[in-house]
Amino acid sequence: MTEATITVKPKKSGTTLHKLKTREQLTGYLFILPALIVILVFGLFPILYSFYMSLFNWRVTKGAFIGDKNYLLIFGSWTNLLITLAGVALIIGAFWIWSNAFKTLNKGQMIAKIIAAAVMIVGGVIFVTGWGQMINAGNPTFLKSLIVTLYYAIGTVPAEVILGMILAFLLYQDIVGKDIFRMIYFLPYVTPSVTSAVVFQIIFSLRETSIANMIVGWFGISPQKWRFEPKPLLNLLGLNISGFLAGPSLALFSIMIFGIWSFVGYNTVIFLAGLGNIPKETYEAAEIDGATKSQMFRNITMPLLSPTTFYLVLIGFIGTFKAFNHIYVLRTPSAGDSVITTSLLIFDNFYKANQYGIATAQAIVLFLVILGLTLAQNKLMGERVFYG
Amino acid sequence: MDSVAVKQKPVVSAPRAKRSRFYYVGRILTYAILILGAIVFIFPFFWMISSSLMTLGETITRALMPKVPQWVNYVDAWNQAKFSKYFLNSVLITLGTLVGLLITSILAGYAFGRIDFKGKNILFGLFLATMMIPESVTLIPNYLLIRGNIFPIPGGTWLNKYWSLTVPFIANAFSIFLLRQFFAQIPKELWDAARMDGADHLRFLIQVVLPISKAPIMTVLLFGFTGSWNAFQWPLLVTTNDTWRPIMVGLWSFVNEAGPQTHLLMAGAVISLIPILIIYFLTQKQFTQGIATTGLKG
Repeated sequence: MTEATITVKPKKSGTTLHKLKTREQLTGYLFILPALIVILVFGLFPILYSFYMSLFNWRVTKGAFIGDKNYLLIFGSWTNLLITLAGVALIIGAFWIWSNAFKTLNKGQMIAKIIAAAVMIVGGVIFVTGWGQMINAGNPTFLKSLIVTLYYAIGTVPAEVILGMILAFLLYQDIVGKDIFRMIYFLPYVTPSVTSAVVFQIIFSLRETSIANMIVGWFGISPQKWRFEPKPLLNLLGLNISGFLAGPSLALFSIMIFGIWSFVGYNTVIFLAGLGNIPKETYEAAEIDGATKSQMFRNITMPLLSPTTFYLVLIGFIGTFKAFNHIYVLRTPSAGDSVITTSLLIFDNFYKANQYGIATAQAIVLFLVILGLTLAQNKLMGERVFYG
Repeated sequence: MDSVAVKQKPVVSAPRAKRSRFYYVGRILTYAILILGAIVFIFPFFWMISSSLMTLGETITRALMPKVPQWVNYVDAWNQAKFSKYFLNSVLITLGTLVGLLITSILAGYAFGRIDFKGKNILFGLFLATMMIPESVTLIPNYLLIRGNIFPIPGGTWLNKYWSLTVPFIANAFSIFLLRQFFAQIPKELWDAARMDGADHLRFLIQVVLPISKAPIMTVLLFGFTGSWNAFQWPLLVTTNDTWRPIMVGLWSFVNEAGPQTHLLMAGAVISLIPILIIYFLTQKQFTQGIATTGLKG
């Protein structure tokens, strides 16, 4: 576009096209320079430096170079990690086979599903083996924190998305006081998480008169210890399950309720905007063709809303893996490691235990896990997203 | 970009003739769910405010409302927990951060949106990538950085200094991205015309672009404000005394000191929330529209 303007301005003699282009480039660099410095120094450089630190026996001050020792403390051995990752790869492969393979074949779907199931089982077994070895030889506290984080993500993100969607659908009608509803729903999201977590500290306190105990009391449930209860929720409900399937502790469950409470409104607002972007004509055309409301919902609303849903799931997952403030405020010593997500564990290793080298190695692993999850979601869900 | 604004027109309104009993049941159910949702969302706020006005005894017996509002709780919390200090600190930190944030993100957003220079896309991608990085990764090196352990910094150490709480936050990829999206949409004819009048990029930016970009700039300010006011993890790390301790860390230390004094604690919580509430109620539309826009384009 610069060339076009330059040709109209011949009076500035001496300024050649080349000079102007160089000046343009220079202006560009000058404009981004302030932001670039800050982001380079405080955003990008620390990643490299974290990796550098993770290779040392670093406790407050730099110690000896120890190479991959800090990572081996996590996994036990690289073989364990490779076995676990192979399991993950097979499980992802199974998903791919399930949805994509043998499409051209007659009865292809059937074959694909059988093979996918087989691959899935093998992948699962390999994964569990590798994971078990890592727990035996590596750092069980860190690995457990990953599971806690996963519980937290699975327990909050889908609930937030579904509740947000329902509220958005309901609000997206002729509703009296729509703006007020939206304002109230969004309020928890703008509230500082430390402030609201301090309030929830007291709501979920172990006193018999606490709000949480009052509410479960209406349903005839005896007072619970909430944030102070390390026992899995399912065990408290009478199911005798142990291990991974036992699920989150009641303490973590309390934190999940807080998470859902504070993020549903955000999802509602984004879904409302997504609904607003669906052209009205689409519905009108469908109505003329005699489509019922449920058909319109399935064939118009859902597909056209899928990019929004995808975005919210992705942001939600990344957010739960990064979550810190409210978990830090809501955790209790008696809940033990049942509420310690990876972010918190890293912070404790750094801030309380002064294990800088170990903490940075764990942070790098967390970063890679987030990266992997993002890519996997892009691959698995991204294909189903309809961009219009 | 404004077209993305949350404009809700009823999409599927049933033709009047078809309105059956079923329709009215549906309407009642809709309102019931919406109101129930509103109660769940608002209750903690109601309870926070009501507890903040109770006596200590009332908080223990779990009254829902105070018999006589104890406004003195606010005075006690304000004095006892040094909230006046923390509050002022947070105001100054937020102001400083916002000024820096505006300058860096307007300039960078403009450059990425409207100027051609080599390596632009790579740099922009690099900026965006920082949005995905967990704070856990950057926290530890940044801590060493502001203590001057990695390389010398002006003043020796920024521990307990104003700079450690502001400088790392005066630029972020999100704000740049938001402004870039808006600036890139400004018609090229405007620039051509300005160019004819002999304007350079900076003058065009200040005289033409900024006056028509109030909405996205407002969004950047709002997000910057909440981000700065709500900051916790980093300030917890870099403030070891009260000199520059911001409000959220102050509230947290009060939690640990106040112990069972729920009424004072809730008064403190309300104090920490007031600026956010004022800004939110004043700019509510802008807030939700801004966030919706970023969500869809993200």
